[in-house]
Amino acid sequence: MNKYLLAVLMILLAATPSLAKVKVVTTLPWIGSIAKEIGRDNIEITTLIKPMQDPHFAEARPSMILAARKADILMYNGLELEIGYLPRIIESSNNPGIQPGRTGNLDCSQFITPMEKPSSFDRSMGDVHPLGNPHYHFSPKNILRVAEGMANALSGIDSGNADFYRSNLQLFKDRLAEKQRQWSSMPLKGKKYISYHKLFEYLAQENGFQILGYIEPKPGIPPSAGHIEEMIALIKKAKPNAIIATYVAGKKEAASLSLKTGARSVVLPHDVGATETAKDWFSLMDEVLKGLE
Amino acid sequence: MKRWAAFLFIIFTLCLSMPSYGADIESRLKALEDTIQQQGETIKEQHKIINELREELNNKKPQETAGTVKEEAEKPKAQAASGLFGASALSNPNISLVLDTFVYSSNLTEEELENRSIPGFTTEGLENRKGFSLEAAELFLFAPVDPYFNLYATIPVTEEGVELEEAFFVTTSLPHGLQAKGGKFKSSFGRINSQHPHAWDFADIPLPYRAFMGGEGVIEKGAQVTFFPALPFYTLLGAEVLQGENEILFGEDAKSGPHAYTFFAKASFDLTDDSTILFGPSVMTGKTKTGSIEEDTEFEGDSRLYGFELTYKWKPSRGRNFTVQSEYLYRTQEGDLSAFDENGDALLDEDGEAVVDTLKRAQDGAYIQAVYGWDRWRLGARYDVLDLFKDEYQLSGEEQDFDGKPWRGTGMLEFHPTEFSRIKLQYNHDKSARNEETNHEWWLQFIMGIGAHAAHPF
Ligand SMILES: [Zn+2]
Repeated sequence: MNKYLLAVLMILLAATPSLAKVKVVTTLPWIGSIAKEIGRDNIEITTLIKPMQDPHFAEARPSMILAARKADILMYNGLELEIGYLPRIIESSNNPGIQPGRTGNLDCSQFITPMEKPSSFDRSMGDVHPLGNPHYHFSPKNILRVAEGMANALSGIDSGNADFYRSNLQLFKDRLAEKQRQWSSMPLKGKKYISYHKLFEYLAQENGFQILGYIEPKPGIPPSAGHIEEMIALIKKAKPNAIIATYVAGKKEAASLSLKTGARSVVLPHDVGATETAKDWFSLMDEVLKGLE
Repeated sequence: MKRWAAFLFIIFTLCLSMPSYGADIESRLKALEDTIQQQGETIKEQHKIINELREELNNKKPQETAGTVKEEAEKPKAQAASGLFGASALSNPNISLVLDTFVYSSNLTEEELENRSIPGFTTEGLENRKGFSLEAAELFLFAPVDPYFNLYATIPVTEEGVELEEAFFVTTSLPHGLQAKGGKFKSSFGRINSQHPHAWDFADIPLPYRAFMGGEGVIEKGAQVTFFPALPFYTLLGAEVLQGENEILFGEDAKSGPHAYTFFAKASFDLTDDSTILFGPSVMTGKTKTGSIEEDTEFEGDSRLYGFELTYKWKPSRGRNFTVQSEYLYRTQEGDLSAFDENGDALLDEDGEAVVDTLKRAQDGAYIQAVYGWDRWRLGARYDVLDLFKDEYQLSGEEQDFDGKPWRGTGMLEFHPTEFSRIKLQYNHDKSARNEETNHEWWLQFIMGIGAHAAHPF
């Protein structure tokens, strides 16, 4: 009996919050990576979606709700990418601090300019993102604003360290400016690609390349035989520089199209951690741009 | 000894999670004070952020060059926060409609289906009619009320009319991991009970649920409190006070006022990045007055239902997934069983006294189901059984024997073109009526949803 009491006591003790670090919960790995740049050792990050999981098909798990229960701030992608699980997690967390409208609820998409916001839509178009393309993490321009937003949010929650967050933001901006020079000098302008999912639209816009078509006929719907035939015809005619897939979606389809058409297929990490080399957001960008080159 | 300790711990924590009525008002005032103070702080923080932003903007202005002006112009006007359910529906509330329609076939006649009871458990028959059926077009409404409450309503529209299946609020701002729910809602007892039928893996409710709670489970008016401690692993404790109107387990006339109570605990941890296990006990206890035990009788007494749930889920990203889910239910009941004649008058013995037997039941049941999913397909199997370990049925001290264990085997194949539409083919090999003829049931079910995107529970 005593042993049990002791065990219970230990658990309760382990559960007492340590005030030292700000507990940041992020949905996607890249959000955690940017938060790390701003918060460094002052924050403790838990990422809900694992690097090899497709964020479109994630489900709420009790362990995610538990992380949200303990969070000081929840940072998420927004634009309805997490609509399938996040509302549930937020409500079930029994944590008032991360409810919508509170300082601990940070929708990163509020700082960006969304692309492809449909003026009208219905679901016959597939599972479209009605607020615009949610994959803005390949856009340095937008990421800069997200980093600013994060620095402000962290300063709001942990005002004693506001200067620390601001100076980290400055370091991030400097590094980004340097990287931007390198990235924009890469010869991608005018190149043409076929992609599995609408994942690289922001990058295409900022680096001046084109995505001619999508192996997925509509977002979230796998291709039919007829659609594959159309793709083969398109690839043979337009001769794209590469067919792009990610490690979580479209790898097989891209490889088979490549085999049938002779076009090069390239598999890219969709988020931080999807490959060993994409350790943080900067190396993710490096790897994606290098793959497109 | 071990089991006792675990049990005591659960009871102890449950007690902690429930409001103690004695020293309650003071603590509530304190909680209110804290909340108000917190809000004050939040507002202060927001002011600070606004001021900081203003400062930043002012700092930027003087150094603007031609290049940055263009970028500034592109900058979005601060968008409205997208809220709990996303902002695509600017209208408030979020609305969705789910159509649940099916084709049903059976080797039994309509009359046999209607009278297909589970002898020893319930006289309730099956409601399915052969051919085309419309379960319901279910309307869901949900939205935050204000920063303190979310509101949900489930309104199935059937051919008989409009029903109010659920309508409840959930608090969002209670401190210390507490949450309260009030209104009419599905009890969180067990696992299947709180899920909506269109979210079930199979077209119908498991046999133990049908036997102990009826085809729709326990949906009651009442209040619920949950306590979610910030432990190293997921543990949720909860208690409910319910009106007790479930016609099989309780009965609205059993007692005036609330007369059913639920306690539950759920624990979960991840085995790997891709697999999770969820388990926990539940108990539901209350006063009963029901005519569903035997024809022309009425039972009045006490009932208690124990449950244990266990779910294992493996889901590595898109593509494949595998779930095993099982629940064990055990129900005890004690009270008086009065008999009636065909006119509904009390049956009298030779001495002119009403015929009343004492009834004592202790029965159990379980189901186990497994579903494997790949691409846009799901294949599932389920086995339900009653009288698994315990089949006590004593009428005035005399054990009644029922021949044949009620059981059922189910197979299911589902195609879902997108997450908004599902087409399901299901076969039941139903031996639930003991030695009666086997019911070979077939379902072809169509479930389609439009409107706001509701989040999926685990
Ligand atoms: Zn997408």
